[in-house]
Amino acid sequence: MNLRTARALAGVYHLAMLYFVTWPGILPFARAEPLLFGLPFTMAWIAAWITGSVLVLASLDRVEKRFRNSDGGDA
Amino acid sequence: MEQWVVVTIIIAAYLALTLTIGLLAGRRQTDSVAGYVAADRSFGLLVMYFVTGASVFSAFAFLGGPGWAYSRGAAAFYILAYGALGMAPFYWIGPRVAKLGRKHGFVTQAQLITGRFPSRNLSALIALLSLIAFVPYVTLQMRGAGIVIEAVTDGHVPIWLGSAVAYGIVIAYVLSAGAMAVGWTNTFQGIFMVVIAWSLGLYLPIALYGGIGEMFTQILAERPELLDPPGLTAAGEPWSWGAYSTFILVSAVGLMMWPHLFMKAFTAKDDDTLRRTVILFPTFQLFLIPVFLIGFSGVLFPGSPPSSDFILPFMILETDLPALVVGLFCAGALSASMSTGDALLHASASVFVEDGIQQFVDLDEQTQRRMMQGLVLLTGAIAYVFAQDPESSLVLLLASAYGIIAQFAPPVVAALYWRRATTRGVMAGLIAGAATAFFFWQNPEYKPFDMHEGILGLLVHVPVLMAVSWMTESQSDDHVDTFFD
Repeated sequence: MNLRTARALAGVYHLAMLYFVTWPGILPFARAEPLLFGLPFTMAWIAAWITGSVLVLASLDRVEKRFRNSDGGDA
Repeated sequence: MEQWVVVTIIIAAYLALTLTIGLLAGRRQTDSVAGYVAADRSFGLLVMYFVTGASVFSAFAFLGGPGWAYSRGAAAFYILAYGALGMAPFYWIGPRVAKLGRKHGFVTQAQLITGRFPSRNLSALIALLSLIAFVPYVTLQMRGAGIVIEAVTDGHVPIWLGSAVAYGIVIAYVLSAGAMAVGWTNTFQGIFMVVIAWSLGLYLPIALYGGIGEMFTQILAERPELLDPPGLTAAGEPWSWGAYSTFILVSAVGLMMWPHLFMKAFTAKDDDTLRRTVILFPTFQLFLIPVFLIGFSGVLFPGSPPSSDFILPFMILETDLPALVVGLFCAGALSASMSTGDALLHASASVFVEDGIQQFVDLDEQTQRRMMQGLVLLTGAIAYVFAQDPESSLVLLLASAYGIIAQFAPPVVAALYWRRATTRGVMAGLIAGAATAFFFWQNPEYKPFDMHEGILGLLVHVPVLMAVSWMTESQSDDHVDTFFD
C-alpha cells in the first residue's frame, strides 16, 4: 500500500470513530443489551473502536517505516 | 495487628520506594535547564510508554472513573472514548514538533507557538492559561491521594495530612531531579497501576456477583436507567447527548495540549519511540474497563461510601482480602494520583518560568532552575489549599480544566500547518476562545444544547483566529519557511 493511501485510511478510521462514539453516530448502538463479553453493548462498542485504533496505527507504522527506510526521505 | 495498621505500613513502604527511585534517577542527569525540563531528550520506549500512560491516567481515572461508573453509569463511557481519539493526531504532530524542537531548541509548547508567532505577551498569556488549568488538575490529584489514605487508614490519617505527606514526597523528587525523576517513578507506578486495575477489576465482579455478565444482568434488572446511554447527571437525571458528545470532543482536542503531555514530544529519544508510544497508547485506554468494573461492582453492594469518589477504596476495604493485598491496591491508586501530580507540578513550573518570566527578565540558568523549584512549591501549596474543599468532584475538576487547555489546539495547529496565520490572529483567537469558555463556565444556563464550554470556546476561537489572520499582514516567507520543509 502506498503511503498516502495508508495515511488517508488511518485518518478516515479515526474520523469514523469520532462519528460512531458521539451523537448522532452512536444512537443505533446506544443500548445496554445485548451484553457483549459480559459488558454493556455501548461499552463493548467503544472498546472495539479503541482496539481497532491500535491495529490501524500499528499497520500505518509498518507502511511508514518501509517508506522511510527505502528512500531515506522525510515521509 | 489491626488491618489499617498493616495497610498503612505497606503504603509507607511504597511511598519510601517511590521517593528512592525518584531521587536516584536525578543522579544520572546533567545539571542544566534542558536537563531539568526535557531530561536531555533521552527517554526510550519503555519509559516513554509508561510516562505517557501514567501521567494521563491519574486519580481522575482511578478514583473519578469508578466514581462516575458507580453514580452516573453509562456517562462514564465518555472517559473511555476520548483517549484514543485525542492521541491519534499526535502520530503526525508529535514527530513534527520533535523535529522543530531539535532545530530551534524548544522545550515547551509555548516556545513552539511563540517561535512561529513571536510575541512576549502571547508567551505570557499561554503561561498564565496553563497555570490556571494546572491548578484544578493538581488539586484533583492531591485530593485523590488524600481520599485513598483517609479511607484505608480508617480515618486515622485525614485527607489534609494524607495529601500533605504524599505530595511532600512528590515535591521532594520533582525538586531534586526534574524530568528524569518523573520518568522513572512513572514507569514504576504505571506498571503497578495496570496490574492492580486488571486484577481487582476482574476479581470484584466475580467474587461479588459470580461474573461480569452476571453483574450487569443484575444491574439491568434493578437499576436499568444507569446503563441506558448516555447515563445520568450528578443529580440522577438522564444526561444529554449534547453534553456527552462535547465532553468527548473537548477532552480529545485538549488531551495532547496539556503542556506536560505535549512536552513528551521534546523528551522522546527519537521519532520512532514517539510514534510507537502513540500506537500503544490505546492499550492503556483499555485499562479503564477494569476500573469501571470496580465502580459498577459497587452499584448493588449494600452500604455506600461518603462520596462517589471514594468508591474504589471503599470496595477494596469491604472485600475480605488480606491486608497485604488491600495495601498494594491502595498503593496503586495512590501511584495514579502521584504519577500525574509530579508531571503536572514539573510542567507548570517549567512553563511559567520559561514562557512567562523569562520573556521579560533575562535569567541565568541557575536562577531559572531555582525559580522553577520555587514555583513547584508554590503551585503545590495553592492546589493543596483547594484540595481541602469537600464539595469538589474529581471528574468535574478536570472537565473544567479541559475547557481552557483545548484552546491551545488552534495555535499549535496554526503554527505547524497554516502558513497564513499571524501573531495577531493567534492572540485574538486565544483571548476570544478563553473568554467564551470562561463565560459559559460561569453561566452554564446559557449553553446551547448543553455543550461543554470548551467546545463553545473553540467555535468562537477558530473563526476569530482565521479572520484576524487574514486581516493582518502575513509573516515573511523566510520566517515561515523555518517551520516548513
